[in-house]
Amino acid sequence: MSSSTVRARRALALGPGLAALGVILALVAFGSITLGSRDIGLSDVLRALVGLDGDGSIEHTVTVDMRVPRTLLGILVGAALGVAGAVLQGVTRNPLADTGIMGVNSGAAAFVVLAITVLGVRGVGVYIWFAFAGAILATLLVYAIASLGREGATPVKLALAGAAVTAGMGSLTTGIVMTNVDALNELRFWQVGSLAGRYAPILTGVAPFLIVGLVASLACGRALNGLALGEDTARGLGQRVGLTRAAAFAVVAVLAGAATAACGPIVFVGLVVPHLARFICGPDYRWILPYSMLLSPIVLLLADIVGRVVARPGELQVGVVLGVLGAPVFIGIVRYGRLSEA
Amino acid sequence: MRIWRPIVAAAALSLTLAGCGSTDTPETTPTSAGPWQFTDGSGEVVKADKTPTRIIAHAGEAAALMSFGIKPVGVYADESVKTDPNLKGLDLTGIEILGEEWGKIDVEKAASLRPDLIVGDYWPAEKAHSGLEEGVDEKSKKLKELAPVVGVSQGKSIVDLAEGYEALAKSLGAKVDAPEIAASKKKFEDAVTAFKAAVASKPNLTALAMSPADDKVYVANPEFAPELLDFQKWGLKVVNPDKPDPGFPYWENLSWENADKYQPDLILWDGRSYTDTANAEWGKKQPTWFAIKAAKADAVVSWPAYWLHTYGHFAAELDKLTTAIKAADENVGS
Repeated sequence: MSSSTVRARRALALGPGLAALGVILALVAFGSITLGSRDIGLSDVLRALVGLDGDGSIEHTVTVDMRVPRTLLGILVGAALGVAGAVLQGVTRNPLADTGIMGVNSGAAAFVVLAITVLGVRGVGVYIWFAFAGAILATLLVYAIASLGREGATPVKLALAGAAVTAGMGSLTTGIVMTNVDALNELRFWQVGSLAGRYAPILTGVAPFLIVGLVASLACGRALNGLALGEDTARGLGQRVGLTRAAAFAVVAVLAGAATAACGPIVFVGLVVPHLARFICGPDYRWILPYSMLLSPIVLLLADIVGRVVARPGELQVGVVLGVLGAPVFIGIVRYGRLSEA
Repeated sequence: MRIWRPIVAAAALSLTLAGCGSTDTPETTPTSAGPWQFTDGSGEVVKADKTPTRIIAHAGEAAALMSFGIKPVGVYADESVKTDPNLKGLDLTGIEILGEEWGKIDVEKAASLRPDLIVGDYWPAEKAHSGLEEGVDEKSKKLKELAPVVGVSQGKSIVDLAEGYEALAKSLGAKVDAPEIAASKKKFEDAVTAFKAAVASKPNLTALAMSPADDKVYVANPEFAPELLDFQKWGLKVVNPDKPDPGFPYWENLSWENADKYQPDLILWDGRSYTDTANAEWGKKQPTWFAIKAAKADAVVSWPAYWLHTYGHFAAELDKLTTAIKAADENVGS
């Protein structure tokens, strides 16, 4: 069997596969609305969803005002993190790249505590904008530092600049938090990724950025395929490498920045899901990106459901669940899967 | 042209500054007499040849000693001395501030004060005194090498704590029967009497100690909150949550979906986050907060969480609670 027939077969299966993932995502989303830390019967959930129970009952409030925005946010944030991870791994050609190394998380955290201490800002609804700004600025800073010198922003220089900016922002955050109890309390809520306590205003605040970023990311597929061949080859094929890289970074900054601003730093999905997608699709980014976009929210919502069901009457942050469940999965991928080169 | 770095200045900074204890002697230092002894919260009897006069104390413990006229030479706090409720309104002139953050004590500065006694609560669960617990900076722990450490055991009652520090102050030469001190203690006893009477007139009233946060609602477990145990002792039905977090049993965690798990008649709101507008704000912010009927009815009052040490502070807080209990409707939550 020649490789071209393999490719053709694969492409034939990938389209329906994507549709199947869409169906699975819809099912998981429905699960995320019906299951939670509070036990609500399926019939109550359905009546709340179609608005037949408009009596202001707590079941209605929990379903419509809490679980629906939480689920939608989970879908958008999950998709954003998965895609951002895939784009970043492609553009840096580093299979272990995730948005954390771009300074996104540390930049967002630093700006949150600055906003709290310097400007006296209070409330999640306000400080997501500072987190967003911090994430974008940190990414820009990393990119600017990495661009210094002759070859521009090479993967190695990006990783180094990312580590340096992360360390700098981290010590700034620690320094402030150590002397300010309020900042520490606000930051504690925000330091472990979670979908809890984020309602409609936060969803509507970040949704436009996430949607635009997701749509824009799908246009990166071809360019990433070119970069995967190596920079010289990509240049030989007439690609403008610098422009591609800058555009890809802009997409990553917006996606990861908005996602992190809304939910705090969520680990694992951005790092591992692209590998899963690559495992299914092979090396073609035109498939890897949409697959990551659907696989990530499935993983994120499943983890969130687990976190809400296992710790009743409380709940576990999705970041914690992903850390606990994700570590063995990741080790498994590294050991037994082929950690395919990005 | 290379920039000349002020190396000399840097070197000077790294030198340990010799002790320049420029502390003016407080006006009512009791005359040193001896020998002195005190039974620490750990059960150990601490002895000295003469009565200690140069005391370094943890914030709340310092407030307790000062309420009996014993002024420490140094204080270490867990937060800014401007915000620490124990130190509010106290005159700290002439007292060295040795730390304003949990786990960080400037031991060099402390050594320069030549202390002869360190005072910090004893925590039986951690078998350590305040400021020397597991998790603090290793450097901070050197504080205990400067002088003997004593404290009253933190446990089942704020009254025990206040009485314990009264005994310590007395051993250090304070005149605990002085009129203003006796008046403060009398005020506390009156506050307890009024509290008990208010509670007795509302036999069905239940209260729940809560601390709402952005991601969850926390319900305090009285078992680990001495002031709540005191309220229970005086007849107030403070609800014991049925599933405290096994890893951190001070609280039961409720997800916001389950905010209405308990329906008390009165909410005791964690004083560290209470403001006059907090209830309305949380009602706006969290869709399920007003599913708690007491919150909806605005039956909320601040509760002095985990800091009280003195009769005076406790009396003031009790008066607030008594007013709230008198105003409460004992059938809100039912």
